[in-house]
Amino acid sequence: MDTSTNPLASSLGERIRDLSATHPVAIRRITSLAPVWTLLAMFIFFGLASPNFLTVRNLENILRQMSVLAVFATGMTFVLLLGEIDLSIAAVAGVSAMISATLFTKSGAAEPIPLLAALAAAILAGFISGFFSARFRIPTFMTTLAMQLIAGGMTTYLSKGRVITQITDVSEFLGSGRIGGPNGFPVIVVVAATSLLVGHLVLRYTRFGRYIYMTGASKPAARLAGVNTNRILLMVLTICGFTAGLAGVVGMGRLHSALPDAIPSYLMDTIGAVVLGGTSLMGGRGGIPQTLVGLLIYITLRNGLDNIPTIDIYLRDFITGWVLLVALVINTVFAGRTERDKTI
Amino acid sequence: MDNTPILELKNISMRFRSVQALKDVDFDLREGEVHALVGENGAGKSTMMRILAGIYNDYEGTYIFGGKPVRFRNPHDALEQGIGMIHQELSVIPSLTVAENLYLGRQPLTRWGMVDWRKMRQNAEKELEHLGFNLDVQRNLEQYPLGTQQVVEVLRAIVSGAHVLIMDEPTSALSPAEVEELLALVDRLREQKRSIIYISHFLEEVLHVADRITILRNGEKIATLTREEASMNTLISLILGREVDYTPRGHHEIRSDTHKLLEVKGLTADVFQNIDFDIGEGEIVGLYGAIGAGHFDLARALFGLYTFDSGTIAVDGQVFPPKHSARYAIDHGLSYATESRRKSLLMDHAIYRNVTMPHLKHIGRYIPTQDQELAIATPVIQKVNVVPPDPMNPVGKLSGGNQQKVAIARWLTFPPKVFITSEPTRGMDVGAKNEVLNILRQFRNDGFGVLVVSSEPETVLAIADRVLVMSRGQIVARMVNENLDKDALMRLI
Ligand SMILES: Nc1ncnc2c1ncn2[C@@H]1O[C@H](COP(=O)(O)OP(=O)(O)OP(=O)(O)O)[C@@H](O)[C@H]1O
Ligand SMILES: [Mg+2]
Repeated sequence: MDTSTNPLASSLGERIRDLSATHPVAIRRITSLAPVWTLLAMFIFFGLASPNFLTVRNLENILRQMSVLAVFATGMTFVLLLGEIDLSIAAVAGVSAMISATLFTKSGAAEPIPLLAALAAAILAGFISGFFSARFRIPTFMTTLAMQLIAGGMTTYLSKGRVITQITDVSEFLGSGRIGGPNGFPVIVVVAATSLLVGHLVLRYTRFGRYIYMTGASKPAARLAGVNTNRILLMVLTICGFTAGLAGVVGMGRLHSALPDAIPSYLMDTIGAVVLGGTSLMGGRGGIPQTLVGLLIYITLRNGLDNIPTIDIYLRDFITGWVLLVALVINTVFAGRTERDKTI
Repeated sequence: MDNTPILELKNISMRFRSVQALKDVDFDLREGEVHALVGENGAGKSTMMRILAGIYNDYEGTYIFGGKPVRFRNPHDALEQGIGMIHQELSVIPSLTVAENLYLGRQPLTRWGMVDWRKMRQNAEKELEHLGFNLDVQRNLEQYPLGTQQVVEVLRAIVSGAHVLIMDEPTSALSPAEVEELLALVDRLREQKRSIIYISHFLEEVLHVADRITILRNGEKIATLTREEASMNTLISLILGREVDYTPRGHHEIRSDTHKLLEVKGLTADVFQNIDFDIGEGEIVGLYGAIGAGHFDLARALFGLYTFDSGTIAVDGQVFPPKHSARYAIDHGLSYATESRRKSLLMDHAIYRNVTMPHLKHIGRYIPTQDQELAIATPVIQKVNVVPPDPMNPVGKLSGGNQQKVAIARWLTFPPKVFITSEPTRGMDVGAKNEVLNILRQFRNDGFGVLVVSSEPETVLAIADRVLVMSRGQIVARMVNENLDKDALMRLI
């Protein structure tokens, strides 16, 4: 809108885009893949800076560190594409894990009951936020904020502030199991990949997915085209609830315990990774491939800094923040997202 | 009148990637004149004005202002020099008071850096009085009609010191009475020696208000005429570059025994009451009303986007359930093109996607492939003559009138039984208007029903077989469109 913003950045971006006008396919590919280049650059940098970084062990580590976040991010991508937000995911994950663990330890319920109960609770949480937002036009920011308190409060009530370290075999398997012996492939990565893949297929190859993009880009336009935007909102928040619950169960398996508090960093890390990949907070733009790249950049950054022994551990967050900012600028400039809106 | 120009464009060219929007255009504006700019949709009018207002600065050619070559970096620069632009989409804020709107972003401050409310109010009153307007500056702007809001938008530019005013289609959303108000303001500004560039597709307005008229076609300047040289016919042929093939309205038989496609009985909501009417096969019904008469909301209610309290809607004998959804309406043979194209289109998305948006259900199995969508969209895009016709272009890059064509084209893919369209020709040039009206006529001749909802008497008279006039939420007259004229319609509301 404002044509006076940041002339430098936009002229650089414009120059690159002019190039892409004359050499259409090749360069346009390159510029639209900016986050991928950022990722590659980081791999090269950390690979050179640390001997441990490019080892099979560490790469597997990256994938495992990423997995819980990837499950969260699948649902969050849906929500952000719609131009909405879900602040309750970390709390919903917490309560799902706690429900599963409590049913297992206190009531002695056998699987699949704890798992199903955990997922059902998460779906219900998403449904409730979605219902109130759709029916009463309350911003999702507020309904999911309330849900964050509700789910968090429920976790506290169930746990009475205690960690539960006995969890079901199924959660253990999902979070820490390996396929093919003790050195096999981590199950958690398979769960994450499945979640991202299904999310991608839904967004890309179903009408429902198209409606999400349409509604996110312009709600009135979607309504005028006969889309029931309330139903889309309800379904999307329910899906996000489901993925949060799944992430909760998987995360519990990874930590071998159910915690009495939600892990608050989950929420911001998820939103951060999704937006970093190129999905707009305003809705309508982005997708699962972008989210995957965003996740990889985010986790690589954290993991890579951990692997450089000379970095003062107390400075790590400080550095992470700056690198993140630089990565964001590169992504927006090269992806041409700073293009001026000339259609006033 | 002083004949030295206060601003001048020389050999201006401007490209957007593949589109040459302006080619070697010369233009000048004199002090105290109203200079109208006319031309087809996509001729380059808005582009030229955005150059003048500092929005675009990557043009070729020379821009001379106050005798010196300039290149404004942004609209702020231009406004500093006294050049203000009024966009078609209002940028005033209805929930603020008139005074706040006049001083938006430039509120007078006290010594302590706080907004000086008293000074702001007094200044606003003084300015308005000076300009000859009598508005309560403490009232919220939303309490005034749209025309007044438009006037305040103009006044704001003047209060911020604009000496040159650029108005891009200022009247396209106004009712005739409001147009009068705006034109009166333009006259007054001219008397104050301000210079005005006035873009409009309403040639009557242009002939009434302009001192000189410049015609653009395909990005080139065709001619600049003085008011004395210009007439309706010369303008039309210069704009189009060909003789107009005004399809004679032809006598369309209206039979009272046709099958009813749309029947509305006793429809009542907050803004309209007891609406009864029907549309038969092969019939175009015009629904005319001033802005605020409730006719636009009535159209929305038929389509399921405005809640009504009682009454029934039936399409082809099928009675709609109360609170039907837009999806239900589409599935049962209604379609609706709203008066606001900005709302109905996805500006970032390709044209073809905007066309197929409501029909995804009927294309492909789960989701249409791009090829399937293109196969459906391309013929209608050509049929309504969108320029440039590349279906992969984002809609946001089309000129205003061409966007409107896309909004109409989308409903021609899977023809509905009854096509409801609000302001179908808003923002269209004379040629395109004719094309759209012909599309609607074709639609009728194929045996479908059309409801044209409009606040422009010309549109209704040009197309409707029968006319309904709405005023304050009631239908106050029903007439066959024979020997009706603009005055007759306007007197009824
Ligand atoms: N941001 C843009 N990117 C690409 N092409 C553009 C852009 N803006 C305008 N154009 C193209 O430039 C040409 C001139 O457009 P412009 O908006 O100036 O037309 P106009 O005379 O104002 O038409 P209308 O009467 O429909 O408003 C059109 O072909 C349009 O498609
Ligand atoms: Mg225009």
